[in-house]
Amino acid sequence: MKEKRFNHREVTLTDEEELMAKQVKEGLEKIDQWNPVSIPNIQWFQQQVEMEKKRIRKKQWKDLLTFVSFAVFMLVILLAIVYRQPIVFLYIQLVGIIVLPFAFDQKRKKVSSE
Amino acid sequence: MDEKELILKAKKGDSLALSTLLQQNYSFLIKFLMKITLHPQIAEDLTQETMLKCIEKIHLYNGQSKFSSWLITIASNLYIDQQRKKKRENKWKEQEQALRKMKWEAAKMNDEWSDVIDALAQINEEIRMPIVLKHYYGYSYEEIGQMMGIAAGTVKSRVSNGLKNLRKEMAKHEGETI
Repeated sequence: MKEKRFNHREVTLTDEEELMAKQVKEGLEKIDQWNPVSIPNIQWFQQQVEMEKKRIRKKQWKDLLTFVSFAVFMLVILLAIVYRQPIVFLYIQLVGIIVLPFAFDQKRKKVSSE
Repeated sequence: MDEKELILKAKKGDSLALSTLLQQNYSFLIKFLMKITLHPQIAEDLTQETMLKCIEKIHLYNGQSKFSSWLITIASNLYIDQQRKKKRENKWKEQEQALRKMKWEAAKMNDEWSDVIDALAQINEEIRMPIVLKHYYGYSYEEIGQMMGIAAGTVKSRVSNGLKNLRKEMAKHEGETI
């Protein structure tokens, strides 16, 4: 079968492939005609940008707080081990008993809202 | 203000510059997504998601490719991820609904429906995407490979096999209508 140079950059297409590619292009052009796009105004975009930036900042703070809390927790455990302070373990248990029900409750709320 | 200047300002945190960039590329992005999803509603949702991702990652844009190509990369990855999570049956139902709606729009405009769109909807999105990028937008195999995170050779074979499959689908459709 005769082959034609279709694109100057690279490949050679057969006649059938070239015809198919042409049909694809024409078909896709029609999609644009059937679905006209209206572009929102610049204020809408600015609002989206500001809202997303705010969300990202909030998430970053939350991540940082989680990281610092975890680091402090690990440090406390390490110090307790190094200095052999059993009372610290007791405190950790107490904190766990107080914090865990809240954590579970929050998780349950999240699941029920989904 | 040209695009390069806007990008530079946007990377420095200028919200207006970023908004302008997004507005300038909005139409291109949504039209691209309509062509690869063949589903106007999904295209609109993905445009929104792509913009949010762009706001978050603008500082990582290195300017090696065009800004519009970078947006295509983000949008394509979001679409592929989304489709992988969906069940095959749901995907098929969604696609059928969207095609019916588009056919209705075409009829409303007294325009003839193009069977190639039906054929395109039948093939997998990971094959449809390189065909659209290559034969509608005219990107090179290397560029498409970079956008989709695959080798240029893989793109080449997907496009070639995809066109063959399209031809088969079209022939099947013609056979059914005769």
